[in-house]
Amino acid sequence: MRKKIIYAILVLSVLPFFTLRTFGQEVTKITPYVTLQYLKNSESKRILQTTLTYSKNRMEIPLQGMEISLFTGTEKKETIAHVVTDNKGIAKFEITGDTKLISDKSGAWTFTSEYNGNDSIDAGKSEIVIKDVNLEMSLTLVDTIKTITVKATVMENGKEKPAAGEVVKILVPRMFSNLLISELTLDDSGSATAEFPSDLPGNKEGNLTVLAKFEENPVFGNVEKSETLKWGLTTDYSVPKSHRALWTKTAPKWMIYTLSVLLTGVWGHYLFALISLIRININAKRKAREEYKI
Amino acid sequence: MEADRKLITDLTPEIEKTSIKWYITFFIFLAFFAVGIYGLYQQIDKGHIVTGMRDNVVWGFYIVNFIFFMGLSYSGALISGVLHLFHTGWRKPIIRMAELITIISLIIGPFFIFFCIGRLDRLHFLFLYPRIQSPITWDVIAIITDLVGCFLYLYLSFIEDFAILRDYPDLKVAPWKKKLYKTLSLGFTGTEQQHKILSNARMVMAAMVIAIAIIVYSVLAWIFGVTLQPGWHSTIFGPYFVIAAVFSGTGLLIILMWIFRKIYHLEEYITQRHFVNVGVLLTVIAAFYGYFTFSDYLTKWYGSIKMDSILIDKLFTDYYSLFIFANYIGILLPCIIIAFPKFRTIPNITIAAIIAVTALLVNRYIIVIPTLETPFLPIQDTRPDWITYSPTWVEWSLTLAGVSVFAMLFMLVSKIAPIISISEMQEKDKNEIMK
Repeated sequence: MRKKIIYAILVLSVLPFFTLRTFGQEVTKITPYVTLQYLKNSESKRILQTTLTYSKNRMEIPLQGMEISLFTGTEKKETIAHVVTDNKGIAKFEITGDTKLISDKSGAWTFTSEYNGNDSIDAGKSEIVIKDVNLEMSLTLVDTIKTITVKATVMENGKEKPAAGEVVKILVPRMFSNLLISELTLDDSGSATAEFPSDLPGNKEGNLTVLAKFEENPVFGNVEKSETLKWGLTTDYSVPKSHRALWTKTAPKWMIYTLSVLLTGVWGHYLFALISLIRININAKRKAREEYKI
Repeated sequence: MEADRKLITDLTPEIEKTSIKWYITFFIFLAFFAVGIYGLYQQIDKGHIVTGMRDNVVWGFYIVNFIFFMGLSYSGALISGVLHLFHTGWRKPIIRMAELITIISLIIGPFFIFFCIGRLDRLHFLFLYPRIQSPITWDVIAIITDLVGCFLYLYLSFIEDFAILRDYPDLKVAPWKKKLYKTLSLGFTGTEQQHKILSNARMVMAAMVIAIAIIVYSVLAWIFGVTLQPGWHSTIFGPYFVIAAVFSGTGLLIILMWIFRKIYHLEEYITQRHFVNVGVLLTVIAAFYGYFTFSDYLTKWYGSIKMDSILIDKLFTDYYSLFIFANYIGILLPCIIIAFPKFRTIPNITIAAIIAVTALLVNRYIIVIPTLETPFLPIQDTRPDWITYSPTWVEWSLTLAGVSVFAMLFMLVSKIAPIISISEMQEKDKNEIMK
């Protein structure tokens, strides 16, 4: 009877594992998010960057090793390249002089990023229309005032036109992110000026990088121009010689002494208790020997 | 070492034979434990995403459980140490339970830290590159020191009982158990000198476990107190944690007294007097605990520091029912039940203890979670599920697994050792104890 009850309990204790499995979610197809960005850096290097991710528990999870096709043109699309996403779900393609791009009447390029999907992931695509902008930045000293001048022109119908009314950000890269210095709106001639602060720390020699950038611009994408010069304050980042403090590698002496005294006191008493145990054992053995002799 | 048969039969009910009830209860707890293991497997396999912890609330139910179990442990040490040191006559039937609460909680508590740590593979760095300035390092040292000390203290209290069980001729146990009793009793035969050595060692260790319990739980409180987080940065946190721990431990002691009395029919040994005495102790501690709680929140409220005000608003809105239960009902109701003599029945005192222990667990929750849900800096693109916390089934399963292990270890101890000290009960003043 007892054995039967024990077996029954054993079976019951295993049951939760099976019941938990039955609550497993049904397999459904993943709906991916495809994004496409146009990046043009300071050296006029143009890159198409596409990402493939999906959302799970409100977290963005990358899809790695997926092939994405990049196209140019609207009605008649032409393949530019096939790229594969990395572990962050990102794939990049550099547009070179050899890349054949189809532009519309206004001179804009239409780029499409397309993922065809598979058994577990749905298909998805993203499209952007970009006009090639030429961004220039000059850094000059006007009456000892550090002045930044930016100018942007865009090719439309074969003619160079000022990019009037667009916003250019002036940034300085810092340790964690870019520090915004100024947000400039370009005038009718496509240019704008700003004063650069004189109290910004640079490196040991006072060098810092100034960045002019069209950021997430719906017409131009991400276009930037940068220059490094001695416009910052010289700073000394050498680590001072370590001393005893709560925030350095070596603890203050009073802390070490306090902890040592406390621990010695406590473990000393433990030692006393252990010695007592040994004494009990020795006493017992002695008594046994005496009884044996008798 | 001699003892009468009745004492051995009454106080070691599971040593000679195991009842079906024991097996059923044990396997029920084992089933809960198995579900917890499955939850842990899910967490190891998929990462901490299966828990409710996110960017802000990085300490969830696991840390709540850790503080709760460590509190039970330290309170067990404090209660047993104080009762032993002051030779309280009525302590003898209950002191063993307090000692077992200490050790078992101390074994379970740190496991919740392991569940909480994201990079368990770096755990050994704590020992390889410790910074003495860090309260985390203090806590690691303190827990190890406390564990060793409590084991020693418990072992000292077991030696005489092991000697009694070793020498009792009619004890029907497996040969390995006999061998175990022989080894663990260290040849104790009850000579005057051995008694003196053992008594001295127990007195020293009783004093030590009291001191260690206070220091160690204060260290745990300082992990919170030394940070600048709203609600935690308080000079009162050390003593507040200690008194809260004793409050929960006393409550648990009453619950265990009721369970063991009921299951093993120990009415002769654990009387109403024990319940009333421990109940009165619970009331006194509840008063102190209530005073500390009031003092802590009142100071913060009047201080009007922006983040403290936001936190207190949150406690009285989002956490209103939990706050009221933990800090009003959980303190006042046990006091009312025990303060009036006509309510002082064993079931009533046990209900008061259950309310006290549950309220203390909730109190731990509202100390840890709302503070972490009140970040100093505004967060860009914030989403409610990044800020707010609710435990998932994985955290619940591991919590239940912890409680199950607590019960199972108690049951396993009852299989090899007396749940009430035989040696203390057979002393000459037994009649005095029973008064």
